[in-house]
Amino acid sequence: MKLSLDIAESFKIALSAIVANKSRGALTALGIIIGIVAVITTMTAANGLKNTFRQTFSSVGADVIYVSKRPWVQMGPGFRFRNRKDISLAASDALQQRLLGRGVVNPSISSNKNVKYQSKVLEGIRISGTTEKQIIVSDMVPSTGRFLMPFDVEYKKSVAVIGSEIADGLYGNSDPIGKHIKIGRNKFLVIGVMEKQGTSFFGGPNFDRQIYIPITTYGKTLGHNGGRANVNIAIKAPSQESMADFEFEVIGEMRKIRGLKPAEDDDFSINKLDTLLDAYNNMMGAVVLVGLIITSISLFVGGVGVMNIMFVSVTERTKEIGIRKAIGAKRRSILLQFLFESSIICLFGGIIGLSIAALLTEIINEMLMPASLSPSIIITALVISVFVGVVSGFVPAYRGAKLDPIEALRYE
Amino acid sequence: MSVQESDQVTSDTEMSEAILKIKDVTRTYFMGDQEVNALRGVSLNINKGEYVAIMGPSGSGKSTLMNTIGCLDVPTSGSYHLEGVGVNEMSEDQLAEIRNEKIGFVFQTFNLVPRVSVFQNVELPLIYKGVPKRKRREIVEKAIASVGLEDRSDHKSNELSGGQRQRVAIARALVCEPSIILADEPTGNLDSKTGAEIMVLLNRLHEKGHTIILVTHEDEIAEHAHRIVRLRDGLIESDTRS
Repeated sequence: MKLSLDIAESFKIALSAIVANKSRGALTALGIIIGIVAVITTMTAANGLKNTFRQTFSSVGADVIYVSKRPWVQMGPGFRFRNRKDISLAASDALQQRLLGRGVVNPSISSNKNVKYQSKVLEGIRISGTTEKQIIVSDMVPSTGRFLMPFDVEYKKSVAVIGSEIADGLYGNSDPIGKHIKIGRNKFLVIGVMEKQGTSFFGGPNFDRQIYIPITTYGKTLGHNGGRANVNIAIKAPSQESMADFEFEVIGEMRKIRGLKPAEDDDFSINKLDTLLDAYNNMMGAVVLVGLIITSISLFVGGVGVMNIMFVSVTERTKEIGIRKAIGAKRRSILLQFLFESSIICLFGGIIGLSIAALLTEIINEMLMPASLSPSIIITALVISVFVGVVSGFVPAYRGAKLDPIEALRYE
Repeated sequence: MSVQESDQVTSDTEMSEAILKIKDVTRTYFMGDQEVNALRGVSLNINKGEYVAIMGPSGSGKSTLMNTIGCLDVPTSGSYHLEGVGVNEMSEDQLAEIRNEKIGFVFQTFNLVPRVSVFQNVELPLIYKGVPKRKRREIVEKAIASVGLEDRSDHKSNELSGGQRQRVAIARALVCEPSIILADEPTGNLDSKTGAEIMVLLNRLHEKGHTIILVTHEDEIAEHAHRIVRLRDGLIESDTRS
């Protein structure tokens, strides 16, 4: 008997056996459905987190180095970094001079304040004192109005460029430009609204809830509240130089500015997108792995359920196997018949599970983060389903295939 | 693989007439620790077109002999040639192929596949033989008509009476044009009237030239055959032609 014909006929036989036993097939598939929903939703959620992360930090350019007192990703006890000397605005100016105009240096400083317009108040808004170079080191630009200009910084103007969420929250449908905003106890004039950045990563900065004011004004009005000014310095590398060389140079200049002796450790931290991505990959890789292991257990349990039912199915049809063998079925035909049966059940479970996972993904997408079911995930899910079907069906099918025809015919 | 390639045709003239040649066959198996000699040296030739009844009390070895003839089992020693082809050394799948092409089984308990239609039951041996779908339809319809069940073709086997089921089984036995039809107590589960009808059907098949081997313990049924082989304690007790 030709293999292709054997496959086609075994498939039909398996299908009719499932149809004859619909409720049992459906219950068996349930285990696979739950397993696939769990695994696939975990995968889409992981992808969603990754997308959110990328989106949130897309403004942190790959060619920008940040010099800060603390590292973004902190390893070990915090006091080491807390006790460091603050980075002053003067250090930023000195670095700019020492780099001899190579690269763009932008100092910034920030804190959280409540902001107010008329009777409306927004709490805990991130106020960032910065310079006109902010839009060079980050890729964000205003959608309406203008950004800070050199003279705003030089003359310590009380002007503010606000994030889109603040514009919506305080001014509703009216144009915020030209209106006032109260930051802490000081009045500022709104000169621009930043374009919307969208969803932000959990715990990451939400740039739509941020206000930029000149760093000089920040020092005059807000800076002395906490007493100390600790500046973050962003340096955009010149395009023709390699990041590694430039980073090395920045470290060298900063050490000179901070007056460190050769044996002393750096008392500042170099941060960049790579550091964040590495940390993200380390953390999320582990979390996703654990998630997949846990959800795979449910899929495994589903597979065991399928195997169990297939043993029942083979035992139940021992006589039928005997009949089929007596009239000429080879072992391969019987094996294929039962393998198809378990695979079809699992594939069916996989498709249902995938549909449910698609629905869940849509809900996650609406409510939490940008998640989507990629074609590769869909294919993975279907392949996994069939794989589970073949693996869990094999032992029962093999047992059926090697039954002795005389014994099987005698079975009642 | 084709069975013909591994054939062991002998030049023996007596043998070339015999469709089935069994020589000194023994079959020993174990039930727990106990050794059972079901066949203790059986030799039997059956020619093409013969109508043979195999009889014997239970424990005589007739089931074992039937299983051997039906290629469901292989002898412990001795040789068995079916249409000149030696069966002894065949693998399980080769035996399946032989059963499919050369043996038509009719069982006491009918042994139809449950849940599927009459048509599908009769079609099954052709599927395992690898006959393409187009050709199968014609063959199956003809076989069903030959047992008078044209109007029951779409019925499920559990919707049929015992007599009808046995007719389906006979149709199924015929579709692959077997060398022998092996009927094991074909009337054992039927009332005498339906049983008689089935015997009429088998007699008619014999008249058409089919070789029929009937296994039974009823003298009445065995009388339909033209030759009666009686077994006792794993040996042939008598072999009479009428």
